[in-house]
Amino acid sequence: MSSHRTARAPRKSGGAANLSERATQSKGSEKMTMEPPTKKAKTKPLTMSLARPPMFDLSGIQPFPQQPKTSQSKLGGLGQNKRSQKDVKGKGKEKVQSGDSDTRLWVDRYEPESEEDLAVHKRKVQDVRHWLLEALGPNDPSGKLRKYRRILVLTGPAGTAKTAAMQILSREIGFDILEWRNTMAEQFSRSEGEWNGIEYEGSADKFRTFLGRASTCRPIFASQSSTSHTQSTQGSRISSSSASSTGAGSSRQRIILLEDLPNVLYPPTQSSFHAALEDFVDTPDRGAAPLVIIISDAGLRGEDAEDGGARWKSRSKEAMDVRNVLPPNLLRSPYVTQINSLYSNESWGSFNPIAATYMRSALKTMLDRHFASFSAMGTRPTKDVLDLIVESSNGDIRSAINALQFACTADQSSHNPPKGSKKGKGPSATVMLEAVTRREQSLALFHLLGKIMYNKRKGDQPAQSVSAKDIRRDKEIDAGLKDPPPLPPHLKDHERKASRVDVETLYVDTPIDASLLSLYIHQNYTQYCTTLEDCDALMDSLSWVDSSGGENWYQANPHQFHVVALGTLHALPTPVPRRSQKSFKPAFFEMLKQQHEAEDGVRDVQLWLQRLGSLPVSSWGARDVSLGISSLWRAGVYSEPIPPTHRNFSQLEFALVADGFAEIAQEGETAPDLPPPQREDRPLAEETITGSYLSDDDIEEW
Amino acid sequence: MSLWVDKHRPRSLDQLHYHHQLTTRLKALAASGDFPHMLFYGPSGAGKKTRIAGTLLELFGKGVDRLKIDQRVFLTPTRRKLDVNIVQSNYHIEITPSEVGNYDRVVIQEILKEIAQTQQVDLSAKQKFKLVVIHEADSLTRDAQAALRRTMEKYMSNMRLILCANSTSKLIAPIRSRCLLIRVAAPDTNEMQTVLEHVAHNEGFAIPDDTAKLIAEDANGNMRKALLVLEALKMQSTDLSSSSLSIAKPDWEIYCHKVADMIIQEQSPARVMEVRAKLYELLSHCIPPSIIIKTIADKVVDQVDEALKADIMHWAAIYEARMRVGNKKIFHLEAWVVKVMSLYKHFFFGFDMEAGFDDF
Repeated sequence: MSSHRTARAPRKSGGAANLSERATQSKGSEKMTMEPPTKKAKTKPLTMSLARPPMFDLSGIQPFPQQPKTSQSKLGGLGQNKRSQKDVKGKGKEKVQSGDSDTRLWVDRYEPESEEDLAVHKRKVQDVRHWLLEALGPNDPSGKLRKYRRILVLTGPAGTAKTAAMQILSREIGFDILEWRNTMAEQFSRSEGEWNGIEYEGSADKFRTFLGRASTCRPIFASQSSTSHTQSTQGSRISSSSASSTGAGSSRQRIILLEDLPNVLYPPTQSSFHAALEDFVDTPDRGAAPLVIIISDAGLRGEDAEDGGARWKSRSKEAMDVRNVLPPNLLRSPYVTQINSLYSNESWGSFNPIAATYMRSALKTMLDRHFASFSAMGTRPTKDVLDLIVESSNGDIRSAINALQFACTADQSSHNPPKGSKKGKGPSATVMLEAVTRREQSLALFHLLGKIMYNKRKGDQPAQSVSAKDIRRDKEIDAGLKDPPPLPPHLKDHERKASRVDVETLYVDTPIDASLLSLYIHQNYTQYCTTLEDCDALMDSLSWVDSSGGENWYQANPHQFHVVALGTLHALPTPVPRRSQKSFKPAFFEMLKQQHEAEDGVRDVQLWLQRLGSLPVSSWGARDVSLGISSLWRAGVYSEPIPPTHRNFSQLEFALVADGFAEIAQEGETAPDLPPPQREDRPLAEETITGSYLSDDDIEEW
Repeated sequence: MSLWVDKHRPRSLDQLHYHHQLTTRLKALAASGDFPHMLFYGPSGAGKKTRIAGTLLELFGKGVDRLKIDQRVFLTPTRRKLDVNIVQSNYHIEITPSEVGNYDRVVIQEILKEIAQTQQVDLSAKQKFKLVVIHEADSLTRDAQAALRRTMEKYMSNMRLILCANSTSKLIAPIRSRCLLIRVAAPDTNEMQTVLEHVAHNEGFAIPDDTAKLIAEDANGNMRKALLVLEALKMQSTDLSSSSLSIAKPDWEIYCHKVADMIIQEQSPARVMEVRAKLYELLSHCIPPSIIIKTIADKVVDQVDEALKADIMHWAAIYEARMRVGNKKIFHLEAWVVKVMSLYKHFFFGFDMEAGFDDF
């Protein structure tokens, strides 16, 4: 690799010079290709909703890729004119790039058109379709199920074709999508200071009204031939794309799509949002449109496990996930369906990151299509580049396509061949991609733990099950590792081989913070240690890290993650013997919960004693109660019954039973060169969703 | 019917049985009209709160007995609501800020401000100031202590503080210097015996001397524990002669001893997991971690070879100190358990113990 880089360096600089030269020569079109996002906005009928005085500011979107041109021309508008002007200008000066007039991003241009194009597991699409059919009627003539098919929640990381799947299905089944958008408009009308007759409506209220009307009312532009529910549409400025879509005229069914959620992290908004959803579900309206909520998991950063005063902060609430978006009682109700993972056992059901094999084939198909059209320019990227893109995208197909387009564009501008001479672009493209497309990878928790706990070091014998490719990769890593300098004799105990684990990269990729990581390590380390000395060193380092830093958050040790990881790696034996270790979730939180309950119990007993004793100063501290409860128990008959919460802490029986812990589920495998994942271990997935840290029967006796 | 501990608690300073010198000083202070902020400290069960109550009575007269318990709601800066129980009379108010964890500063400030800004309305009141009793002052966070320090000076005109703590080491120096420090030492065995006999006499039975001694020794300076044990024993059997007597240990102590046995019986990573489950159990029953480590260490030390004792205690001290700073108590408890196991195993197999121990 490195030798390639140096060899290519002069050539690359030549390319850069070429580029700048060209840039001066043709500004217009160069800019055109470089700023696709604005174009992207124009292709969607977004302008419709902006042009209108926004009461709700909603717009039904249905960007059908087959007819982008027509929809654009129908839209007309300012942006369109500007664009065509630019086009003309560009064409005047540019000779080489005459062909490619479609400047949309590939993501929009090669949007999947049918289910086959989707790089999603078939079962998942099937699930969604099934639900939609039930919700919309055709699959459910009796209408029994329909009542319960009210809300569908699609979750998954960004770029896993959640929205695309909905759009494809809408085309296939034939329904319109009505989408909610948050708006800022009302604030402007208010900022003028004087009440201008328009009643101010908070975004939460607006959402509520929207939901109410959207589910029952017909869009004004749709034909009036529909039978079921043509209520008054006046005043409800719900727009649906059916006006501009092919299906106008027929009585199409609709679903409501919720992707742009109100700020549910702000408690008041959240509660009103929840109320709106509950209302929606409670409306026993059989003709009402079902609601589809799409939630992109915005990364899962671990909960802070700090003990001190933890009862007052629940950090878990600070992430956008299903549990925030939907009220808990709805989440359990039959009205809400969550599309669960089919082949992942990620802790909540979701669309999974797109598997590498799927993605590669999808990208290949796309490239085929792109280069099949005669107007295509640039060169087809090599397989290496493709592999790299697939690998670095982490299952986010949107980012992969963007990267791919970028790779093609950049190639073309630096070499400027009319039709690709394919030779020799790989490495430079690779270097460029390395620099540009590196996204923050989120390492699955499971893999993070595996990396640390298996403590691989230079020269370890590979396990038998390992494939040849992995062995090769290990060797490559080993070649890049420097041996640490020898230690003086009195430190010989601490001599280790160079580690294959790069803590710095782990830190970049970690899905959890140091505190949670240390809890996970603590929960699991004993399986990976062979001797007590290993345990000792490991626990000592954990204990040290926990006590490093000061009492306040700003005094906290900023290197906690590194120290935890390095300390663990240093302490563990190498190689760690494989004993089919299983990872468990920390029992810590369960303990913490019980402790808080016990504290409440203690407080109750304290108050009870206070009333009983009727002394001027409450004579029982919390500590006195928790330590003295058993003698208290034996001591006396009481005029008032002891508060029942005492059971939370008063019984402490010793039983030598090993406690079971909930296992962490393994993440959907995304490693390259595996057959498309076919694991359908749904029961396991569900178990890990519902299972708390400890299974219930373990704590029942308390 | 209340517990003997509460029923026979001395209500006034005159009824106290021990620390007479301290009593006279407190009385003189209360009479002088120039009452300072005070910090009572000493081991639990020594009689700090009894003395505080007595002092209050001395200061304000009978009115302090009329208590009401309020539940107050405080709003944190992050708009989270905190429910706090507050015990108060017309003359004083009691708060236990440690109940609200990290938000104790908010609660302290709110309450103190409120108290300080209202004058004593009762014209017949003996004192112009109100008293704020802060329990468990040693578990106040740094923030809260800093807030306290400012308030103590600012509102001196119509408010006094009485802090109650187990030790002064966790209080910042500015607070200590603003208070009159009053140490309430644990009673010795003789003093405890007197109290036990007094309670027995009031309850209408006689307690044999050796029984009283046994109970007092077992309680180890904790008057509350001694009286609870006495009452429990009396409930179980009317005969209190020491020959037939066995004092039941509290559950948590027995539990800790069993954990100690587990450590001695087997030393392996698997055993570490089992011990951890037990430690979690103890922690989730609100047993303070420093008490856990102390009790287990005492028991372990009883059972091991002389050569190991010093090391075990040395590490217990180190991890206990770390525990005070750290957040996750279990880490330190477990680290100590593993350390003890490792030490014990090495010793048992006669390995060289020096290696690897001087580098921590």
